[in-house]
Amino acid sequence: MIRLYHIVKSYGEHDALRDVSVHVEKGEFIYITGPSGAGKSTLLKILYGAEKPSSGKMLVGGLDVTTLDRERVAQLRRNMGIVFQDFKLLPRRTVADNVALALEVVGAPREQIERRVPAALNIVGLKGRETSLASHLSGGEQQRVAIARAIVNDPAVLLCDEPTGNLDGGMAVEVIEILQAIHRRGTTVLVATHDQGLMNRFPKRILRLQDGKLSSTEAPKRRSLAPNGDGRG
Amino acid sequence: MIAGLRRVLRGIREHLYFFAVSTGVIASALVLLGLFAMVVRDVNDMVASWQADQHVSAYFAAGVTPEVEAQVQALISQRREVAKVELVTSADAATWMTAKAPDVAPVLKELGPDALPASLEITLQPDDTSPERMSAFVQSLKATASPGAATGTLWEDVDYGQDWVARVHTFLSLLEALGVAFGIATVVATLFLVANTIHLVVHARQDELAILRLVGATERYIIGPFIAEGVLQGLIGGAMATGVLYGIHEGLLVRLHNLLALAMGTPPTFLPGAQVVVLVGTGVALGAGAAWGAVRRFLAGLP
Repeated sequence: MIRLYHIVKSYGEHDALRDVSVHVEKGEFIYITGPSGAGKSTLLKILYGAEKPSSGKMLVGGLDVTTLDRERVAQLRRNMGIVFQDFKLLPRRTVADNVALALEVVGAPREQIERRVPAALNIVGLKGRETSLASHLSGGEQQRVAIARAIVNDPAVLLCDEPTGNLDGGMAVEVIEILQAIHRRGTTVLVATHDQGLMNRFPKRILRLQDGKLSSTEAPKRRSLAPNGDGRG
Repeated sequence: MIAGLRRVLRGIREHLYFFAVSTGVIASALVLLGLFAMVVRDVNDMVASWQADQHVSAYFAAGVTPEVEAQVQALISQRREVAKVELVTSADAATWMTAKAPDVAPVLKELGPDALPASLEITLQPDDTSPERMSAFVQSLKATASPGAATGTLWEDVDYGQDWVARVHTFLSLLEALGVAFGIATVVATLFLVANTIHLVVHARQDELAILRLVGATERYIIGPFIAEGVLQGLIGGAMATGVLYGIHEGLLVRLHNLLALAMGTPPTFLPGAQVVVLVGTGVALGAGAAWGAVRRFLAGLP
């Protein structure tokens, strides 16, 4: 599904990513973790075409995406859902309008939008909140709207950059549970997080970055019963 | 098409204040341009009336018969640089003088019917009214021989107000330089005003641009509604500017006409329909162009 070969990303003298090679299979759920500045967000940015690697090659579905122009990057993003820590919603628009945005840019007909938006909101547990303004929602609800917008196109890949970073423990758990539900529907999910508690509670394959280098790849562990494994990380 | 229109209307509704500000700034800029166009137009009319006033008075010498005067008039009227030739007989001149200065009437009567010489009042083509060309024309006129069998001096005097012509041309050169400088300043100010306002408006909507990029919108998809908003702002701003300019024309310039008419000779006129269309078109181009430039610049900086 996604193949990264010897990816290097440098900003001047600083190497944000150093020789990162990763294979992500279709339908996988992967955490990308590491301390702040380890390169998690940079790796995700390269995946959705916001940054170009200084060297190396990345294939998504067999297509080399390291050399795409801006127009092709837009096409790439239509097949990816992206979720951010700060939600990136349009506060003056309703929940439904925010979610519909991803369908509108691909030119989906109105009847399709009217059918798929409530379905996506249903998946994230916001059915009935279509007409609420995004700015009137809690942080957890806003993040769920962002997830609904990311999945409404039924993308092959969902990229989440610290999706629980602005949420308290209970809401963070809810968000990860929603991501798990989406994963069970066949979507490949990559989550950048440094929340060890959540990773313990919902064990999946982990890519651990340290100073821009992939320090380890860990297979899913059994669900932790440790006291700090309550998702409050 | 309908979806695009809906997006444009939604953008306007969500950012009505910014839309109003942009429209107002475009209208103000167009008022500035329109005022400049109106002033240029009125000055051109004034210059044309001044140029029409520039003429050569050729006074016939005593003894030149009316037949010869008529022949000379016909001869001169055929010259390329001559727009109009009017024969003023001695009697016409006396009538005119009497009307202008009734006190001299008894003196003229005493001097007889030929007290004032007959003359030709010659108006030259606009391109031939420079001091150099008028001087050359006068020299050639003085050298004109009497037609037919007539002999002797044809002219008593040939006058074209040399000092007045020179002053008018100096003033016109200055006016032209000032017009160009003021025109450039107006255009630069207009572009600066509109481009920076729309840049700030787009800046205020940069989150929207970033989100659209992230969900896979193409640049054309993002820029389209902004350009459409710019076109609408230009149309509305153009209509507003036309209204304001008409108000200025009717409420100010026309009322000042009596004062201005002394200097201008012609009443101030409002912009003709074609220039109003150009003004509104300029507003549309400004709105759309500024929006296109500002959005392009922001998109270039987005991931």
